[in-house]
Amino acid sequence: MLNYSYVKCKDLTQAYDLLEKEEQVYPLAGGTDLIVGMRGGKFAAKIIVDIKDLPELKILEENDQGIVIGAAVTLNEIATFKPIIDHALVLAEGAHTVGSYPIRNRATLAGNICNASPAADTAAPLMVLNAQVKITGSHGKRTVSINEFFVGPGQNVLKKGELVESVLIPRPYPNGTGVYLKASRTGSVDLATVGVAVQSWDNKVQVAVGAVAATPVRAISVEKAVNENGEKDLARAASLARDDISPITDLRGSREYRYHMAEVLIRRGIEKVMEV
Amino acid sequence: MSEKMAISFTVNGNRETREVEVGHTLLKFIRDELHLTGTKSGCEIGECGACTVMLDGKPVNSCLVLAVEIDGKELLTIEGLTENGELDRIQKAFIDHAAFQCGYCTPGMIMSARALLERTANPTDEDINQALSGNLCRCGAYQEIREAVKAASKK
Amino acid sequence: MAELKTVGTSVQRKDAIEKVTGSAQFIEDRYMGPMLHAKMKKSTVAHGKIKNINIEKAKAHPGVKAVLTGKDYPNKIGLYLIDRDFLAIEKVRFWGEPVAVVAAVTEKAAAEAVELIEVEYDELPGVFDPRESMKDDAPIIHEDLGSYEIVPIFYPKPGTNIANHFKLRKGDVEKGFAEADVVIEKEYYVPQMQHVPIETHKAAVQWGLDGKLTVWSTAQSPNVVRQLLAKSFDIPMHKIRVISSYIGGGFGCKAGASVEGLVIPLAKMFPGYIVRIVFNREEDMQGTFTRQALFSKLKTGVRKDGRITALEYEMIWDGGAYTEYGVNIVRAAGYSSTGAYDIPNVKTDSYCVYTNNSIGGPVRGFGMCEMQWGIERQIEEIAKQLDIDPLEVRMINGMKKGSTTAAGQVVQDVDYHKCLKTVADQIGWGKKEGKFRGKGIAGLVKCPAQPSNAASSAIIRINEDGTAHVMIGATEMGQGMLTVISQIASEALNIPIDKIDIKVPDTDFTPYEWQSVGSRITYTCGTSVKRAAEDALGQIYRIAADLLETPQADLTFDGKMVYSTKDPEIKATIREIADSCKKCTGEGIAGPIIGRGSFVPTNMTNLDPETGQGNPGLFYCFGATGAEVEVDPETGVVTVLQLAAAIDAGQAVNPQLCKSQLHGGTIMGLSTALYEEVKFDKGVMLNRNFTDYKISTIDNTPHIESFIIETPETNGPYGARGIGEQPMIAVAPAVANAVCDALDIEFNTFPLTPEKVWKAIQDKK
Ligand SMILES: Cc1cc2nc3c(=O)[nH]c(=O)nc-3n(C[C@H](O)[C@H](O)[C@H](O)COP(=O)(O)OP(=O)(O)OC[C@H]3O[C@@H](n4cnc5c(N)ncnc54)[C@H](O)[C@@H]3O)c2cc1C
Ligand code: FES
Ligand code: FES
Repeated sequence: MLNYSYVKCKDLTQAYDLLEKEEQVYPLAGGTDLIVGMRGGKFAAKIIVDIKDLPELKILEENDQGIVIGAAVTLNEIATFKPIIDHALVLAEGAHTVGSYPIRNRATLAGNICNASPAADTAAPLMVLNAQVKITGSHGKRTVSINEFFVGPGQNVLKKGELVESVLIPRPYPNGTGVYLKASRTGSVDLATVGVAVQSWDNKVQVAVGAVAATPVRAISVEKAVNENGEKDLARAASLARDDISPITDLRGSREYRYHMAEVLIRRGIEKVMEV
Repeated sequence: MSEKMAISFTVNGNRETREVEVGHTLLKFIRDELHLTGTKSGCEIGECGACTVMLDGKPVNSCLVLAVEIDGKELLTIEGLTENGELDRIQKAFIDHAAFQCGYCTPGMIMSARALLERTANPTDEDINQALSGNLCRCGAYQEIREAVKAASKK
Repeated sequence: MAELKTVGTSVQRKDAIEKVTGSAQFIEDRYMGPMLHAKMKKSTVAHGKIKNINIEKAKAHPGVKAVLTGKDYPNKIGLYLIDRDFLAIEKVRFWGEPVAVVAAVTEKAAAEAVELIEVEYDELPGVFDPRESMKDDAPIIHEDLGSYEIVPIFYPKPGTNIANHFKLRKGDVEKGFAEADVVIEKEYYVPQMQHVPIETHKAAVQWGLDGKLTVWSTAQSPNVVRQLLAKSFDIPMHKIRVISSYIGGGFGCKAGASVEGLVIPLAKMFPGYIVRIVFNREEDMQGTFTRQALFSKLKTGVRKDGRITALEYEMIWDGGAYTEYGVNIVRAAGYSSTGAYDIPNVKTDSYCVYTNNSIGGPVRGFGMCEMQWGIERQIEEIAKQLDIDPLEVRMINGMKKGSTTAAGQVVQDVDYHKCLKTVADQIGWGKKEGKFRGKGIAGLVKCPAQPSNAASSAIIRINEDGTAHVMIGATEMGQGMLTVISQIASEALNIPIDKIDIKVPDTDFTPYEWQSVGSRITYTCGTSVKRAAEDALGQIYRIAADLLETPQADLTFDGKMVYSTKDPEIKATIREIADSCKKCTGEGIAGPIIGRGSFVPTNMTNLDPETGQGNPGLFYCFGATGAEVEVDPETGVVTVLQLAAAIDAGQAVNPQLCKSQLHGGTIMGLSTALYEEVKFDKGVMLNRNFTDYKISTIDNTPHIESFIIETPETNGPYGARGIGEQPMIAVAPAVANAVCDALDIEFNTFPLTPEKVWKAIQDKK
């Protein structure tokens, strides 16, 4: 049993007011990171602010701007939302690899990125889609590119009193295809040893990698080689990712294997999106 | 500190109002307060699926839901599948195919299977694998479980 | 043999309805009355002297009823080597060892109080590799090894960390090597694994106001728990009642005594209360038995024609901090050290060595997975060097009727070759399917590892209406025991199975059973049930003969009626016989029918202390696994394309359940082959939850083609033998052999994780 107070929010204002005023206060979306973390002693929450049933956060729609994914939308909803499958398949694939079906019924995209694990499976896909994170709080709203959202393991740019309200997959959508390739120990319900998202945009590619650095990262060197220098040898291009990443050794894989797998998956990903 | 809150919900078709400890998970509440002990605990971190129940028609790991979160919601546990002592088709198929051994994972497994058949009437092996990958069975009844879920879908 | 009616059919499991409806009661599902919750304080060092334990703050914490430390427990505990304290006294020997226990009115209060206990340690140098631990200068983990009580079939070396040295000498190994054309020598390593039953260890204990102790436990073996607790706490056996409900998976970790004793002194302090302890997943992984790691060296001598002439096998087992049970695994692996092969000259040294890792103990296979890994891998090397098909090498050396085991025991009722051939045919042996694809086969044998006097017993009560209750002390942990035993009773009694009731054990009411381990219950308990049924049947005939005034020899029983074969009109219903037992004159004939049966092996012997020769096996069960894999050479990912398993069950009492075991064991084996390894850092268990200790899931479990071979076991009930553990044994080597075939790389350890396979490919380049 855990020690905290629980507040079921009536609206967003109440949520960010609490976040602003109180200490050790945590928003609760799906709880699949938060509850595990509280039990394991990672989070010492005094107040839990339940935002999952706020209608304004449950928006999942396509509008002029693009695809809007509210902070309370679950990964299963994302993985089956037609506009996402049509225009942002890489995200549907990434979302689909998170945990198990019941986990994805609770887990949210916002929770996945706010938790800011370097291995978050939706992070790399969002990066290659140039997603924008809509942040709201007592001091107003702001938008941050997903590429600037992560600060370090478990850390993001949110300031005290701020919440992620939604994530936007902006128009224009990529007109090429995308793919998310995840290496893990079992290939089943497991955290990524390396996760690679590749998206083709016209005849260019964008590549992002998870679980290989303090945050999910773009493989800028690879992108440059392929997009600007016209590197045709994709294995060689992929090997440049070594300059963009700095993996560690942990229970899921060694630094060495991660370097290698990042290269392999990047090359495979690019081959896959370029074929189409 | 043990703060309590009143919640109203439906469990296996019955409306209930209860005071719950905000620090309790749904799993603990179901077992210790509702005394529905068919739902099992195997890890309490969402990895084993033994605690799977359906909340508003969707399977969830009850160890990762707070009891207070079910206010206004509909809960279905393994005990809710039998009607007047009659087993549902998945339970029958699990028996026919011996799709369990120790039976500890079975309630969670059956709940996940039920949720699958509600969304996919005729699942393929791949659908079954995907839907049940979060339910660990250390006894290794997976092959029989696949057969049972397939058979149940045809009934 | 007369035609069988129930045995050999797939009747519905006795526990089926309860288990699919969630109404099956496991220990934690019982509401038992006013309860106290116990929680352990665990050591934060792997090896250290306890300088001081301060429990005052914990005791003062609201809701706390008591806090105990090691000195509150009078005696040690252990199955074979009594080396274990309930709570560490003076020193701790592994990280996470319990040093104190709290009882409180809520789990929360207990958990909070545990945090308030302060323990100071003087850390001692630890030893985490059994090979290091055997060295002269290694820190000694059990200074008092020489004074521990021990069953005299084990050979500890006081003053060292060696808890058991099992020696086996068969034939003349020097001569054997001299006869060989090729000698192969290799080292192998099998890491620790964990059973991870989905139900963790739990126990609830009540000290009655009348001084009677009741223990509800996840124990696989309630009678052994009773015996060990009686000894440790000086309580006569009739004052201890042990109840095992349904068990949510055992696989060995719930054998012997585990958590029960921890809470007994607490219960004694609060008579009438139930004191309960529930291990969480981390505690379960780190604080209960792990499979002992094995470092082994194998040397085989082979003639050009493929015949193995000599084997030298050295096994160094990581017994962990306590080896009360582990010493016997080391012994079993030693006396079985030729695996499924008939090898004339053998020299084996199997050492159980203390380290500061988690406690080693029994796991499905009881040493056979680890030991036969080396054998089944080395056969591949033999085949390669001699350029003979590895299946052929297995066929040439495989045991047949009349072969002798390493211990010199002659095996009967064997068709190992059929097992091998069956899986080989299934996977299309000999056909190479493409680059990076490979096939592998491995064989297995196992006998129950049990003392030669491990007994079973059964009581059958015939009710007034002719239905029956079967009472036995075996536990139901998924293996299907209740069903199989009922089938044997039904067959022997000639009473339909739905008229037979059977329940899980309660030592106050059910008769003695040594342990539900070693794949022995179908055979041992089955035999006693058969005998009990025959006893009851004898009584039915005797009463009927009296009642009908007809010679017994003329009577026959069809399950409902006893009638005369000479005149079918002379008959009595089972109800009439079982009920009043009266003649028409009103004179009684006999009281209620109670059949009794018991069993103790008569074919087992002790082993010679110097040569390990004798008869350690009650029966031998053979089998084989075949696998086809595809390896992604870039990522190292192994995909199992085909999996075939064959087991010689003698007689499958219930083919469906027999297959369940075959599949379940194969899946567990596959899981260890590909994923499972407990990782330690200086004794600290790193992957102690399911996030990082990964086991097979449904989506990475391929379809298994399974085959039951039936070479009847002469002395088994209806020809049956046990098969619960066996299907696991050959899986890891079969998969590894397939991977080696695919890549032409040797693997001498598993799991074959993507990273490990990739690394091996790199190393080869
Ligand atoms: C069994 C299991 C398997 C898993 N497997 C994977 C996997 O394969 N890949 C993967 O990437 N993850 C995995 N996870 C982690 C987790 O499920 C995901 O990160 C999930 O997306 C988190 O979403 P949530 O809604 O549950 O977040 P929560 O747990 O509710 O929140 C996570 C964190 O973000 C904060 N937060 C939530 N919403 C907001 C918001 N709108 N604004 C600001 N802060 C917010 C919370 O306070 C908390 O600190 C797994 C978890 C489990 C239990
Ligand atoms: S107990 Fe909830 S998933 Fe294991
Ligand atoms: S039946 Fe035992 S865990 Fe599934």
